[in-house]
Amino acid sequence: MLFLKTRKNSIEFLTPFFYIAPFLSLLIIFNIYVFFSGALSSFTDAEGINPGSFIGFENYQEALTNFDFWKSLSTTIIYTVLSIALQIPFAFVLAYILNMVPKIFKGYLRASFFVPVLINGVVIALMFRMLFNKDVGLINWFLGLLRLPNKIDWVNDSNYTIILMVFVSFWQWTGFHMVYLLASLQTIDNSLYEAAKVEGASQLRVLFQITMPMMKPALTFCFITSAIGCLKLFDLPFMLFPNAGYGPGYSARTTVAYIYEQAFSQQFRFGYASAVGWLLFFIILIVSIFQLKVLKAGESDEN
Amino acid sequence: MRIKINSSKILNAIVLIFLLIISIFYVYPILWLFDASLRPLIDIFQVPPALFSGSFEKMFGIYTFNSFINSFLNWGTGIALINSVLVTCSSIILTVFVCSLCSYAFAFMNFPGKKIIFIFILSTMMLPLATMIAPYYRVLQKLGLTNKLIGLIIPYAAYPLGVFLLKQYFIKIPVSLIEAAKIDGAGYFRIWLRIIMPLSKPALAAFAIIQFKEVWNDFLIPMIVLRSGSLFTLPIKLQLMDSQTFNKPYDAIIATGFITAIIPIIFFLIFQRYFIEGLTGGIKG
Repeated sequence: MLFLKTRKNSIEFLTPFFYIAPFLSLLIIFNIYVFFSGALSSFTDAEGINPGSFIGFENYQEALTNFDFWKSLSTTIIYTVLSIALQIPFAFVLAYILNMVPKIFKGYLRASFFVPVLINGVVIALMFRMLFNKDVGLINWFLGLLRLPNKIDWVNDSNYTIILMVFVSFWQWTGFHMVYLLASLQTIDNSLYEAAKVEGASQLRVLFQITMPMMKPALTFCFITSAIGCLKLFDLPFMLFPNAGYGPGYSARTTVAYIYEQAFSQQFRFGYASAVGWLLFFIILIVSIFQLKVLKAGESDEN
Repeated sequence: MRIKINSSKILNAIVLIFLLIISIFYVYPILWLFDASLRPLIDIFQVPPALFSGSFEKMFGIYTFNSFINSFLNWGTGIALINSVLVTCSSIILTVFVCSLCSYAFAFMNFPGKKIIFIFILSTMMLPLATMIAPYYRVLQKLGLTNKLIGLIIPYAAYPLGVFLLKQYFIKIPVSLIEAAKIDGAGYFRIWLRIIMPLSKPALAAFAIIQFKEVWNDFLIPMIVLRSGSLFTLPIKLQLMDSQTFNKPYDAIIATGFITAIIPIIFFLIFQRYFIEGLTGGIKG
């Protein structure tokens, strides 16, 4: 097979590669090569498209001793942890109880939870900025109706930055996880439930010993996608807060926003931005591998 | 209903009411946006909101298209809409073409390194491009793709998830069909075009809709690629409108925002079944 004797044979041999070539070449140019060239330029003082010269680990050193970098990273991580901790359990509960309601309502409910997922992050951010307006926003008006404090300056007070981001992303993404978990819930074999019923297992026991273990793959998927999505967040805080977009006192500047700021607004420090990008990429990688390992380990324990 | 609950009926009713209340939380902001896009600027921000003011005249009497007219005439929303549609449609066509060819090879052909290449492609799903915007820009610059709409179309075409989803679907197509076509003298390309593609319409639709959502809603990459206002897509146009410090055109922002939001929603409602199938295809496969 490896010795190509005739022309026909060699065409036969090459055919699959013609089919994968367009995809593979685009993937290599716009993904692999980008990461590779980012690694190279992270060791240079490149500015804009000027390649710059080699400066060793200086960019990494600068990032790791820079207050703004750590601030942006802590904002990102706090946001990520809170988002995951609130969204996925709530999505699970929603999916679980949605599975019980009659079919005519199910379609409407599923669609209504899912619709925010489809909307552009910029539109969502601008919309919620208006809804959270101090004087004329709907939220403060509603809080007033409930006799709660209603003069809160949500978007200009740095105390509320993270709460606001977590709230909006909760609105935006719970439906995504819910649809996913619901689909996984529906693939669970009915005979498992029937067997449990025959043995007289309680509702709660069925939930913990059949439903949850069977949904491990879907839960893993939700944890990982939402961790990656949160860690590379940009559009929401960039547009949610008025003017300059990084929130009051830069309290909403995520790491990707920090990279954007270093590389594309005012300064064009491509080398430094690449170094910060690689640091963030490492963090994302470690987090995903960690989650994969933890959830996989849990799975094999129960089997 | 799958799980029998003992005190079922009351509990089910409570669950249903709870879910309906929660759904208001999800749907209301979108209705607000729709309502606000049809109001004159002075009525958008009223306390209490015009919709809850109690007087019928105030609630529904003053709807107007002024916001849309303002955004199209003075803010070039029309051009941005055309740009967004152009980028999204071309991107979908190119991506479906490139990914389906690739999946076809993985589903029906044998070649050395097949497994390793496939795993390699899947593992690139983990690469978060957002962290690499600086080198990404430089690559586009070298290829002459910056500040051009095509710079938003070509780079998106290699979408690993697409290859995965389509391959999962392709392998369910009976091999006997392909063998029969081969005996009839059809080449690989003909088989792809005449048999595989027509049979995979649901998977292609699902994938096209996912890609639609991704490209239509992208913000960071157009932000760095596009410079000239005439090329701006809808999200970038919104950012531009919002960056006005004086006399921010709230009515135009709301109208453009509504247009940006409603188009994927309409697509979703039409193709809902395909969409959810596509999104969840990964766990079933």
